[in-house]
Amino acid sequence: MSVTEGRLTRADLLKLGGAGALGLTLAGPAFGRPLSQEATTMTMLTWSDHYANNQLAAVAKATGLRGRPTLFSDNADAYLKIKQTGSQFDVVSADGLWVPKYVKSGLTEPFDLSDLPVSKQLFSLARQFSFWKSGSNYMAYPFSWSTVQIYYNPKYVKTKPDSWQAILDKKYAGKISLENIPTDVMAIAGRATGAKKPYAMTSAQISRAKQWLKELKPNVLKLASQNNEVVRALADESAWIGITNLGTDDRVKDARGPVVKAAYPKEGTIGFIDSESIVKRSKHKDVWMKYINALEQAPWIAKNFITNGRPLFNEKAYKLLVNQGHGARARRLLYNKPELALKMTIKGPAGNQQAYIDAFNEVFGA
Amino acid sequence: MEQQVATPPHALPPADVSAGRRGSRLSGLTQYAGFIPALLLYGLFFLAPFGLIVAYSFWQTIDYEVVHKWTVDNYRYFFSVPTYVRTMWATLWVSFAATAITLLMAFPLAYWLVRYVRKSLQGFFLVLVVVPFWTSYLLRVYAWLNILGEGGAINRFLQWTGVTEHPVSFFLYDRPAVILVLVYLYFPFAALTLYASLQKFDWNQYKAALDLGAPPRIALLRIVLPQMKAGMVTAVIFVFIPILGEYLTPQLVGGAKGVMIGNLVVNFFSGAQYTRGAAVSLLIAGLIVFLLLIVRKSLEVEDPYRA
Amino acid sequence: MRDVGVVSRHAGLARLSFSVWAVLIYLFLFAPIAVLVAFSFNANEYGTFPFTGWTMDWYRQVFADYQIKDALYTSLKVALEVTVISTVVGTAAAFPLVRSNLPFRSGIRIGMTLPIMIPGLLIGVSLLILMTSVFHFQLSPQTAVIGQAVYTTPFVVLLVAARLQGFDPALERAASDLGANTLNRLRHVVLPLIMPAILAGALFAFTLSLDEFIITLFLIGGHNTLPIYIYTQVKFGITPEVNALASLLLFASLLLLVIAFTLPIALRKMRFAYRARRA
Repeated sequence: MSVTEGRLTRADLLKLGGAGALGLTLAGPAFGRPLSQEATTMTMLTWSDHYANNQLAAVAKATGLRGRPTLFSDNADAYLKIKQTGSQFDVVSADGLWVPKYVKSGLTEPFDLSDLPVSKQLFSLARQFSFWKSGSNYMAYPFSWSTVQIYYNPKYVKTKPDSWQAILDKKYAGKISLENIPTDVMAIAGRATGAKKPYAMTSAQISRAKQWLKELKPNVLKLASQNNEVVRALADESAWIGITNLGTDDRVKDARGPVVKAAYPKEGTIGFIDSESIVKRSKHKDVWMKYINALEQAPWIAKNFITNGRPLFNEKAYKLLVNQGHGARARRLLYNKPELALKMTIKGPAGNQQAYIDAFNEVFGA
Repeated sequence: MEQQVATPPHALPPADVSAGRRGSRLSGLTQYAGFIPALLLYGLFFLAPFGLIVAYSFWQTIDYEVVHKWTVDNYRYFFSVPTYVRTMWATLWVSFAATAITLLMAFPLAYWLVRYVRKSLQGFFLVLVVVPFWTSYLLRVYAWLNILGEGGAINRFLQWTGVTEHPVSFFLYDRPAVILVLVYLYFPFAALTLYASLQKFDWNQYKAALDLGAPPRIALLRIVLPQMKAGMVTAVIFVFIPILGEYLTPQLVGGAKGVMIGNLVVNFFSGAQYTRGAAVSLLIAGLIVFLLLIVRKSLEVEDPYRA
Repeated sequence: MRDVGVVSRHAGLARLSFSVWAVLIYLFLFAPIAVLVAFSFNANEYGTFPFTGWTMDWYRQVFADYQIKDALYTSLKVALEVTVISTVVGTAAAFPLVRSNLPFRSGIRIGMTLPIMIPGLLIGVSLLILMTSVFHFQLSPQTAVIGQAVYTTPFVVLLVAARLQGFDPALERAASDLGANTLNRLRHVVLPLIMPAILAGALFAFTLSLDEFIITLFLIGGHNTLPIYIYTQVKFGITPEVNALASLLLFASLLLLVIAFTLPIALRKMRFAYRARRA
């Protein structure tokens, strides 16, 4: 070997480098068990409250299917991402009326609910949403629902803000946190300014909504990308008002925050019905059922409720919660009344999506 | 330099004597052969995308599809929205403030290093400045999230010592937080360039000025600073220009009020408004190239690669 | 410089204030990182004050988390590919930069540093358009590799060119006088001697790639590298597990850089040691 001749040739160093590189690559997975060859990765485009890390680990262990989540903060962005990425994603968590749009655009495909044994755990109502029916198939697996309302910290907010106009008060400058979902924020603005169909506003209504938003802007602390950021802002009191899902008061308390109360705006509000759908171009469609079946089992859903506070569609999980002593909390948060979900103005794509997003961007800058 | 030229163990092909006489130079076009891989990489994946951005910025997006119709509408639209223009000015202002603060903080440190630290230790302290920089950008911003914020270290500390009653929200989700974190991120650039420049300075001139009766402060102002100009310009460039394109810091610590133009670009691109996003990107890139051109004279060092 | 005998009443005060300033600066630079690392050992699950106790639990969680392993694997694979591309392209480009009769040398030099000066954001979005709208490629770790290589290659060029520039041409001339042609000169004389710089460049590119975030974010599609995984977790909030992961990454980056800059010296010492023993 030429090293002994006192000269490291390029060949030797290349060998050294190659060995080192190979070593590093193999060492990577060797923190514990080496990566199993049978493990398939199910890539999910989803919200942060659709899963827990330990849940994914348990599902991976049981089924060999490893979930790999990528978070999105706006349905419109998720839709575009699926459109652009083809077979990158296997599962997408679509909201309410976005589900039919995905199907119509050929991005997701419906399936037979009865192929999923876990679907029997759902409230029967959830298996029969008319807007998700596709012949005898179903477009998505129902997960959770909630209205979007106002939560406030009574320590700082002395009068209950039970209308969208009330939160424009200059007292709340820089104290409001809400999710960064342009389409939905515009819909709320539409509600605030009297639009009957917040997702199908005319240009005039969009203008009025934009004006309301402009007045709201100085009061906004942060546009959160996931709802747990709103929870945190309320918990550490950087925000006094949060516009977010049911159960936030419990979540803030769990995060060792102050007592916050709910206020339902009298102009009405919007709500979402969350789900999981099959991405049409996914390469793992054959195991999608197995994965979702494991993911959506009642014990996990029950835990999800405790962590995230808003109602879900798994009826068996509700019974588990009652047995665990959380019945009162579940009922307070309307878990046992899934029919109320249908009374909401359900989130979906806007008639003129571009105009909504433009209006929002033009107010918030980004 | 004493070197042994080892004899290769195998027989050599006939020597290319003519090339040998010219030493290490190749002839004609073959001397540029090494550029080929780089040209491929950068031609395809740097220049071409840039050209695409230029083109896109003058095309239209209709119904999420890019249509090849030439228009300046994207630029017109950008300048017609007051929020966007305000964001642009805010970005310039934040960059300016962060650069100024960074330089003001870095200069005394560089001066201290050159003036008061033993030569043998200077390298060590310099490395110490750079060490935090050699960790992931994301991690450094993340580290500040631990400290700022109502549940963060500063507020908890203030509450624990009884200085404040409840959390102060000044520290997070606003422009000051963005500036603070940016200063932290770019400080090593400024410190290193200022140090390099200060070190080259001939302190005998300073001494002479003092001997001639000038007070130290005047000597500093009149003798030292003017000769530092090149170094300061370099430092400004290495701090100001990258900050213009910042996205992550304003996103994580900026909140609704700390938005910078990078966030706008990302917003357009995630919403598939490629043509608008391209126009804004080109504005940023154009500004950067423009600034670089203005100061290229100060950047001109005697060509180190001239053989 | 310390021989500047400043006869000033305020000399002592000036010295003191500058030293105090220096201490403050170093505190400012290291405090956030110290806090980050400290909280990774904090038993408090909210990852903030108060410090409720010492624990290695978070590190244990890091090593058991399959998502982190997945992200690490992707990070390493991408970094390896980026390093190979950068090193080959960068080293090849360094030669004509130093040795040829380039007409627009300073222009090319500035052009070469442009990918470093242009914000990563712009590199990311422009490549995104190219890949998806023109080439109709799917985003994948491979597209991320290309984006990162554009960013890291200039560093390699600069490092190798600097070494090449200080290369004594007499060595090559001696070799060619002895009958070596270009290829042999390269293989047996030049490359071995600049190998330390090439290795330093490679390690540098590797580290840059591991830490790279913004370009990767746009180009990696559904996969995760470690920085992207951390970014996702930050959306959940600061968790001590992320602090533990961050601390590990910090340590690894520093280690790699220490190696990058001491390896050339160590190699040289090895070479001389062998030669001395032979003599």
